[in-house]
Amino acid sequence: MDRIQCQWCHAQNETGRTNCTTCGAPLDKKDLVSDSGWSEAPRLRDMTEFRFSNSTCQIEGEIVPVAELALAAGDSVFFEHHVMLWKEPQVPMSALNTGGGMKRTMGGMPHILSVAHGPGRVAFSRDAAGEVVVLPLHPSMELDVREHAFLAGTHSLTYSFVRIKGLVNVLHGGGGMYMDRFVTHAEPGLLLLHGYGNVFQRTLQPGEQILVEPGGFLYKDSSVTMNAVQQKIKTGLMSRGMYLAEMTGPGRVGIQSMYVHHGSE
Amino acid sequence: MSMPTAAGGYTCPYCRMASEGTDRTCPHCGAPVDVRLRVSDSGWIEQPPIRDMARIRFSRSTCQISGAYVPVAEMGLHDDDWVYFSHHVLLHADPRVRMDNMSMRGGWKRMRAGMPLVMMTARGPGHIAFSADEPGETLALPLRAGQAVDVVEHRFLVATGNVDYQWQNSNIWFTTQDGDETEWHYPLGQTMDRFTAAGGNGLLLLHAPGNTFVRDLAPGQRILVQPGGLIWKDPTVAMFLHFEYPRGQYWFSSAKYQAKSIWLTLQGPGRVAVQSVFERPEMAGAVQNSSGATTQYW
Repeated sequence: MDRIQCQWCHAQNETGRTNCTTCGAPLDKKDLVSDSGWSEAPRLRDMTEFRFSNSTCQIEGEIVPVAELALAAGDSVFFEHHVMLWKEPQVPMSALNTGGGMKRTMGGMPHILSVAHGPGRVAFSRDAAGEVVVLPLHPSMELDVREHAFLAGTHSLTYSFVRIKGLVNVLHGGGGMYMDRFVTHAEPGLLLLHGYGNVFQRTLQPGEQILVEPGGFLYKDSSVTMNAVQQKIKTGLMSRGMYLAEMTGPGRVGIQSMYVHHGSE
Repeated sequence: MSMPTAAGGYTCPYCRMASEGTDRTCPHCGAPVDVRLRVSDSGWIEQPPIRDMARIRFSRSTCQISGAYVPVAEMGLHDDDWVYFSHHVLLHADPRVRMDNMSMRGGWKRMRAGMPLVMMTARGPGHIAFSADEPGETLALPLRAGQAVDVVEHRFLVATGNVDYQWQNSNIWFTTQDGDETEWHYPLGQTMDRFTAAGGNGLLLLHAPGNTFVRDLAPGQRILVQPGGLIWKDPTVAMFLHFEYPRGQYWFSSAKYQAKSIWLTLQGPGRVAVQSVFERPEMAGAVQNSSGATTQYW
């Protein structure tokens, strides 16, 4: 039987489908890749629905999209509490202690993540125009995400956070003190991010480098190293030179085109 | 809508540059070729968004526009070409792109006006990309040799090296009184940028929040616009303030001043462009003094 491979998440789909069942990406549209190799994250059609575990996710709206999850019994998702737009009253909630205590407070990160358990519906959105980025994670993957960018993660993901190493990286890296790290073990997982503006992804070869505005960084495979590198370029009277994030492969790098620092950051 | 030229080619209705018209997008400004011109009843032409991944050619380089909400302008720079920009619009760059400083005159005044003191240059070969920080549209203005445009501050994204950059006082201001203090207001910003193509054709990219509309003003023709809505204009277009006070009963004396409208009058001949997202000018207080202005009491 013929199958169609999704260009975004590489999942196999039955012929005749217009959206990927795993990530919702349109299957009947060409992958948009810029001359230098950046792929545009798929623009999910309004009301696109896809599945994870025994549950479904529907993406609604196009300017500030909403991710509406219909959780099956036994499934759950975790998230930062302020991204929850609405929920059905009977959806049970619990808290997930992130650990880290004072370090998290100093880093401006929440101590506790909220967890919504099925059965029932719950919806999430962030606070500015942008795109929901759907990242299905295969078993044994590690993904690092800039803080306050993740919308929701499924229960099969292990959440941790990594301190950004080096004072220069913390002070000039534009991503704060910590990055969220999502790890899958034996089971696959699904991660939903909100990228401000438009989102682009590029896969770097081993040793390949790209310079990225630190505020534009959104996510990377943990195999990609990120260092804030000072450029010999002054940007003002008192400044000593701007910093850019030097990303070195191998692995995927995701960026967002609008990198204004919002109130939530 | 195609506009045939005498040579049977195509003149883009948005940037007015001629091309063969065989591509889906104008090679000079990226505007779609095969869409109907959308003109409002009053004469404003809606600038169509540049198609995703459309390429604009300049000199021996290309500019590719991608994304729909906050578009990214990705330049593929040839060895001989260079561009300049303000550092905060840089999104990503190949490590081989050579970046440097471009000093600006009038540092103190620019700092007071909230304008960047230093521009950056990027020289090919390599790719470098730029984006702004608000949802809106990227506007590509190809400039013929010697052609100039005036651009409102903070709208500039990037320009090719042969586009000369000057800035001047906007000369649009008014003062109000708050107790013993005089408050100065600059509804258009303190400065205005002027870009002129020197020695050859150039390309100027702007970012406008919201949607963009352009129109031609005939000689002497006037239109009132929100000062914060102006994006760019031809230098031939004159501008001055207009204060409008609505008729009515006011509960207290200062209400009349708070109810006023502050307009920017644009007077042709020439083209003007406005954006649909704008910041409203501060209304508080009676106007004490102003740059050249007209007043209307209804």
